[in-house]
Parts: sequence; structure tokens; C-alpha cells
Amino acid sequence: MQKTWNLRNIILLTLISIICGIIFFATGFIYNSLSLMLTPFGLAPFANDILIGLWIMAAPLASFIFKAPGASILSEVLGSVVEMFLGGQWGAATMIGGFIQGIASELGFTLTKYKHYDWIGIISTTLTTTIITFIWDCFKNGYSAYSIHMLILLFITRMISIFIFGGILTKLVTNMLTRSNVIK
Amino acid sequence: MDPALKLITILIIAIEISFTQNLILNFIIIIVSLLILILNKISLKSLLYIFLVPIIPAIGIYAAQLINGSTNYGIILATRVYAYVFLGTTFTKTASIKDLIFTLEQNFKLPAKFAYGVLGAFNLTETIRKEIKQIKLAAAMRNVHLTFFSPTLYFKSIMSALNWSNLLAEGMTSHLFVEDSPRTHFKNININKLDYVKMIIIIFLVQIVLIKF
Repeated sequence: MQKTWNLRNIILLTLISIICGIIFFATGFIYNSLSLMLTPFGLAPFANDILIGLWIMAAPLASFIFKAPGASILSEVLGSVVEMFLGGQWGAATMIGGFIQGIASELGFTLTKYKHYDWIGIISTTLTTTIITFIWDCFKNGYSAYSIHMLILLFITRMISIFIFGGILTKLVTNMLTRSNVIK
Repeated sequence: MDPALKLITILIIAIEISFTQNLILNFIIIIVSLLILILNKISLKSLLYIFLVPIIPAIGIYAAQLINGSTNYGIILATRVYAYVFLGTTFTKTASIKDLIFTLEQNFKLPAKFAYGVLGAFNLTETIRKEIKQIKLAAAMRNVHLTFFSPTLYFKSIMSALNWSNLLAEGMTSHLFVEDSPRTHFKNININKLDYVKMIIIIFLVQIVLIKF
């Protein structure tokens, strides 16, 4: 722990969350237009669940790069603080959300004892992130009022999104970094 | 009020409105935050921004509840979106990330390497934004269009972040920043006892509204 979190790595970790934040904000119009399209059908929450993978991407990415306990939580919390000051769409909810997503993603790596930075780790972190953030949204975004089949659909959408962005995309990026000998 | 205590207060309120369904409390939060913002001379532009930005998610969530859930709950959720944004803006407009990090370091025992590392990285935000734009442009010149979906964009951005973090860490070390060694401070921040009292009163008032209405 002491060795991993030196000054350089802390800066790098924060920069990675900032990068994910900037790339996500640059495509913020996708969320808004998707949300607008779905609103007349009362399906706006799907916009949230389709894109959630992008929100949580910093966490698995940081874990795969640093391969150390705490990377997920730190990247999400630091990222959300920065995001709030840059003027995110969600205000105070950004910070709580960041903390919860960080814990959710971290738990996936904890369950595999921080040894599986491969597909097993990805599946585990996808599952924990999906379940925990879904429970949080039951309260925060009022998912609990929806019917059961809508909930199931939302859950599956969320899982696929997290798997694509937090899993496949993260894996592709880390593969590129490994090939260029940046990380082991 | 001390930035760290302010942040804790705001987070407690935000967590509470996430788990309770109280329309009046949401409105009170919005109105009080608005008053604080106006007293702090917020510009008309930022005021418009915080009114307009949450409009799409708020309407979206309201319509979703209207069609697939319950109407009353929809109104609560829509006002909740606004309450979050107003709470967040009240904080970011009245405190700077610098003050927050300094008070966390001096009064809440945040390790110096985290405090200054994050602050350094935060100041690089603009540079990183430019770098990402450059990476996209450079790729576009070769007729490759990078979007948020392309791993190459993340890969190249991380490579540039690696470079920047090395440079910044080296720069800080050469200016005699030593990790884990005690530091003296140019500006000493002490938390006023009155700030704790304010924090407790605000949280207490929120509980009263929650119970009464």
C-alpha cells in the first residue's frame, strides 16, 4: 500500500479519473439526447443505465493499471470531487455516487483477493458494481416504484453496459498498455 | 464556514434526501441554496446554467414515474434532482478545491502526498483537456475518428497522463516536496468552534422538517 501510493501514482490516478470524466463529458449530449428520446415513453431511466458503464469506467481501469487495493475507491472518489468542481450535471449526488461506485467496483476485486486482473476479475467487478449501484438507484432514482419486468430490463441493461465499458473496453485499453510495457 | 465541515453537512443532507421522500424538504433546500447563492453574488449565467442543466434528467425521471410508476413520487424525484444540483453548487461556489484540500490536510489528517498530488492533478485538467483534443485531431488527420468507444483514445490519453504525472512528481520533488515528512504551512487553517455549532443546527433543522412534514 505504502509503495503503490507514492506521489507520482496519486497524480496519475487523479489524472486517469479526470480523463474518464472529460471523455464522458465530451459525449454528454448523448445522455441528454438519449434521455429526451426515451422521455415520451417514460423510459428515461434507460439512458442512465445504458451509459452507466462510462461513469464507472475509471474504477476498473485504475485497478487494472495499479493492481493494488484501494485503486477503485480512490479513483472514483477523487474523480467525483474533481467532477463536482468542474460543474457536473448531478451536483452533490456526484460525490455520494462516486463513493458508492468506488466501493462497488472495489468489492469485486476484493472478492478475488486482488489476484485476478483478468476475465474472472472483470466478471466479479461487473457483478458487484451492477448489484450495488442498482440498489442505490432504487432509492435515489426511485426505481423501487417501477414494475418488476421493467426492473429486470433495467438491471440487464445496466449489467451489459458495465460489462462493455468497465469490462471489455477496460481490458482492451490495459492490453494496449501491457503491450507497450507500461504496466506488467 | 470551514469547507470540510460544509462538505460533510451537504453530504449528510444529500444522503438524507436520497432515502426519504419529502417534497417540502426538497423545496426548502432549493430555496435556501438559491438565497445563499444570490447572497454570494452568483452570476446570472451560472444561475441559468444550474436551472437549465438538470431540466432533461428531471423531466425524464418525472415522465418515467408518470407512465411506469406513481405521479407523486415523480414530483419528489424531479425536485430531488434540483436539490442535489443546488446543494452541490452552493458548495462549489462558496468554497474552492484548494481551501477544501488544505483544511482536510491540516485539520483532518489527510496525508500531504494526497493533498498536493490531487491538487497538482486538478490544476492539469485544462492541459489534459487540450491533450485529448489534440489526440482526436491528430487521429482525424489520418482519417481515424476516435470516440469514447475507442480504446486508442484512452490508451493515448493515459500515456500522456503518465508523462505529465512523471514530470509533475519530479518537479515537486525537486522543489523539496518530501512524502511523509512534516510540513509547515504558509496559511494556517483553524476550524472555528462556531462552525461545528452551525453544522449541528443545520442538520437538526433538516431532521425537524423531515419529522414534521
